[in-house]
Amino acid sequence: MKRILGILSFVGCAALFIGLIATYLLANSAAAPVLAAQVNGVATTSQGVLPHAFLKLNTYPDGEVPENFNSDHSPHSDWVSYGPSTTLQVPAHSLVTIEITNYDGGEVLNNDFFASVRGVEGQAIMNGQPFTSISPEHVGHTFTLRPAPANTTSDLFVSVPLQAVAEEDMPESGYTTKPNVVTFSFVVGEPGEFFWNCEYPCGDGTYAKFGNAMSAMRYMAGTLTVV
Amino acid sequence: MSPVSVSTRIRHFTKRTYVRHVFLLWIFFTIMVGLFAPLQSKLMGPAASTQMEVVQETMTLFTYMAAPVAGLIFAVVTYSLLAWRSKGFVAPQYEGTNSRGNGPTTVAWILVSSLLCVVLLIWGLAEMADGQTARGDERARIINVTGNQWVWNFDYIENGNVRSQELYLPVNEPVLFHVTSVDVNHSFWIVQMGVKVDANAGAVTDMRVTPTLIGDFDIRCAELCGLNHSAMFTKVHVVSQGDYLAWILKNGGHQ
Amino acid sequence: MSHTAEVTTAKKRKGLMRKLNVWTGIVFGVVVAVAAHYLAKRYIPMGADETGTVLMDRVVITTMFGWTIGFMAGVGAFVGPYRWMMNRDLDHDDQMWLAGKDAGMARYFRFTTDHKVVGIQYLVITMVLFAVGGTMAMMIRTQLMRADSTFLNNTWYNTLVGMHGIIMIIATIIMVSGPFGNFVLPIMIGARDMAFPRLNALSFWLIFAAVPVLLSAPFLGGISTGWTAYAPLSTQAPAGMDAYIVTIIIFAVSSAVAGANITTTAVTMRARGMTWNRTPIFVFGTVASVGVAIPAFPMFMASQIFSGLDRTQGAAFYDAANGGSGWLYANLFWLMGHPEVYVILLPALAALLELTPVFSRSPLFSFNSAVGGIAGITGLSMLVWAHHMYASGWAPDLNGPFMLTTELISIPTGMLFLVFIGTIWRGRVWGRLPMLAVYAMLFNFLIGGLTGIYMSDVPVDYALHGSMYITAHFHYTLMGGALTGMIGATAYWFPKMTGRMLNEKIGIPAFVIMQVGFNVTFMGMFLVGLQGQQRRVAHYDKLFENGNFISTMGAYTIGFGALMLLYTVITSWRRGEVASDNPWGAKTLEWMVPTPVPLENFEVPPVVTSDPYGFGGPDAYDLEYEEDRRPSDDLETERV
Repeated sequence: MKRILGILSFVGCAALFIGLIATYLLANSAAAPVLAAQVNGVATTSQGVLPHAFLKLNTYPDGEVPENFNSDHSPHSDWVSYGPSTTLQVPAHSLVTIEITNYDGGEVLNNDFFASVRGVEGQAIMNGQPFTSISPEHVGHTFTLRPAPANTTSDLFVSVPLQAVAEEDMPESGYTTKPNVVTFSFVVGEPGEFFWNCEYPCGDGTYAKFGNAMSAMRYMAGTLTVV
Repeated sequence: MSPVSVSTRIRHFTKRTYVRHVFLLWIFFTIMVGLFAPLQSKLMGPAASTQMEVVQETMTLFTYMAAPVAGLIFAVVTYSLLAWRSKGFVAPQYEGTNSRGNGPTTVAWILVSSLLCVVLLIWGLAEMADGQTARGDERARIINVTGNQWVWNFDYIENGNVRSQELYLPVNEPVLFHVTSVDVNHSFWIVQMGVKVDANAGAVTDMRVTPTLIGDFDIRCAELCGLNHSAMFTKVHVVSQGDYLAWILKNGGHQ
Repeated sequence: MSHTAEVTTAKKRKGLMRKLNVWTGIVFGVVVAVAAHYLAKRYIPMGADETGTVLMDRVVITTMFGWTIGFMAGVGAFVGPYRWMMNRDLDHDDQMWLAGKDAGMARYFRFTTDHKVVGIQYLVITMVLFAVGGTMAMMIRTQLMRADSTFLNNTWYNTLVGMHGIIMIIATIIMVSGPFGNFVLPIMIGARDMAFPRLNALSFWLIFAAVPVLLSAPFLGGISTGWTAYAPLSTQAPAGMDAYIVTIIIFAVSSAVAGANITTTAVTMRARGMTWNRTPIFVFGTVASVGVAIPAFPMFMASQIFSGLDRTQGAAFYDAANGGSGWLYANLFWLMGHPEVYVILLPALAALLELTPVFSRSPLFSFNSAVGGIAGITGLSMLVWAHHMYASGWAPDLNGPFMLTTELISIPTGMLFLVFIGTIWRGRVWGRLPMLAVYAMLFNFLIGGLTGIYMSDVPVDYALHGSMYITAHFHYTLMGGALTGMIGATAYWFPKMTGRMLNEKIGIPAFVIMQVGFNVTFMGMFLVGLQGQQRRVAHYDKLFENGNFISTMGAYTIGFGALMLLYTVITSWRRGEVASDNPWGAKTLEWMVPTPVPLENFEVPPVVTSDPYGFGGPDAYDLEYEEDRRPSDDLETERV
């Protein structure tokens, strides 16, 4: 009996310790706060009349603008990042319209596949003009969305390029006053998880520029949950 | 000591009770391990390509070949635990055998394992020489595959400027993939077709496959490629020749 | 009296050296690290086209080397060379002090040259590393319990996968040749210490220095690459990768030092009369293991130096756009990577080969086959590395030859199996924990070995490479085979090393729980691997959910069993039943010396007259198998 108690207390203490480590990891794995889409009216889509949900995002060259979650919750607020949050939530069976304001410059894509608009409902619009692709040499960022592996109900693939702010419009300090605004829509179905990220090599690092902000969640990568 | 013929020795050996028990256990375990052979192919699902048929055939054959080997070892250790174990925590009262080896057994063991090894090798070389995996088949349709963190791109270069993110293949037609990467290493794996090759930056690797089933199958990246590695998957749609052509034309390609 | 007086004066004269221990090492290491950090930040120049990441990599690497050098100096690793350079070489008293004479527990916390102290130090650090790596495994399995789990984010998941991998690899590499190769092997061959006692201590303290470096990786952005650290992904990875690079460089030095030491000891310091065919098989296994490591680990070190140069200097060894090649990395890595699995496996199997005759009370079956098997594996292990690269596209034309060498390795491995079952055959099996480890190893390693044969076949490997099937396969060999062997070796030599018996009333149930959990875990992984789940993914298709759930439950079972075993080891070590000098009735030399083993092991150098496997007798056969013997069985009188 004493022996069994000894074992159990030892294993219990160890399990408690491991649990503490797990709690630490859980806290450090936390996603940015949820940014839920606002539903406003209905829209006619290729898949019938659906509720219309809206999301507004921005991309600044760093995460220090106050509305960006990373400005005060991240050890790397100097990294380029999507804002205000990278954890998106949209209602099931709806048309989602995302408006992204890009304040960042940019250059050449690793893969010009992402210079074209792919998988959207209707047309993507940049600064009021419909567009289907931009020059792969002047890409600021992309918004590229795909289902999470566990999401077997959808094969949605959306990728939209964000035109870079022209070199001469990028100020030495502060942010540009001539951002590019891109709006696009896509239809989501059943509840499930999606991953999205940027495909423009805007991270740091010595290879393919996919380091830092591109290799960590919360900055240029996040999730979109259909609920 | 007069010489004794090998057959006599074997005959006397097989008369011993424990040898007979081990022999029965051997048969039992061989059957048990053999049962895993069809199970593996079943878990891998229906073979969607000629390559996968070979893979499943090989795994089944190897399991059947391995069954008696594994069965023998399981039989000896099980029997020794049942019959040759001295009960309790104290040291055994009796010593075991003082045999320091048995030449014929060792020689037979090495010969048999070498023989099995040669069979494996010949089988493997024959598969590779089929031309499906390494070389051959001039008529194959060429499709360029580009890995990118974290998307696959497919260029149907024989059908004009068509590019897609999900793969479309005509059934029963050999395909040759030229695989490369624009950034880090990926591995292009068509799961149900049993083929895979790494996508390397600055190099082109080849992979051949002949799909045999119409349907949708999985492509997964099998080489850790960074943050969203787990999301780097897509579908391959194997369709009839007519449907393939229709899809190509719809996407701005030509025949 | 006069002796004591001498020691006192020596203490006065050489005070500093005698004040160094692990604490001064840590303090000095931190001081030098901080100094190196600030100096690097201030003085490392940066080119115009370089990014902040590059500067950070340089600073991090400099800091880590600063820590290592500072720690090694502070712990006293350079005392010997320093005194030699000062022309005040260590005298006998200094040597005795270094060997930890009469120092009690304190000798475990400083640069002690006694091989027995180093052995215990290795045993403890191995268990610590297993605890850390095992905890990470629990985290990984918790994340994988469900397909869309959000317990860990991708960065943490990738980091933990890499950390678990490299920590377990390091731990398993040192787990047998470290504790038992150091503690047991010299006594086993009748030597008074290792050939190079100071190198021995150096090899241990280098590993000690490497551990905090490696554990800093998650706080430096993590390792996004898995334990293989494939380039060019590693070039892109955050500063955690620098921790990996520095760790491997330190570890390669440590293993080279240890390898040279163990090899020299075994070759030159065997007792009189201990010819090669009287040398215990454990010595063969350990020497083969470290012998394989000597050419293998420099490859790893080189690969990481290149990787570090790529990251910090833009050297482009692995950058295809600038003339490098990722295949260079893959080749260097697997030139280490495949020999390394035999570095892990051989001493563990050899330890079990050593104890099998003792616990089946019969001689090792076909000693020559055992040696031949070990030699065959050693030779072939250098020639199979590219079977990890069948699907890499590096050299498809070489897949055939590498398939040949890979399949050939099944022959010497089969010979070792023959030795095991031949020894057990008609033995009197004594069902203690060490022997249970032999049984568990035979079962697990057989599965690991046979599944390895599937993968040696090129087309099958195209289907299975990079899937969970591989993960299951190598856990069956490294954990089910080698780690089980290490547990057996620990149980076997525990009485000699600690002076106490391992409590098997808890130990055996703990071991059985671990084995059951192990098989459940990795059978589940075979299942999802066959279904098509790839390795190292934080999220997966719903299809694989059942298999992964089974694996996770199995993993928790292993965790429970492992903790129970750890509890047994700790409690038995502290207040277990006191062991006699030779509780197992074994015949190797380490059981002939008293427990605890005196400082120089043997008062009189032993002379060896036979091999240590003289167990069994014809009587046993007659008594036990009388009922089987009929007159016609009597082969001697049989007429042909």
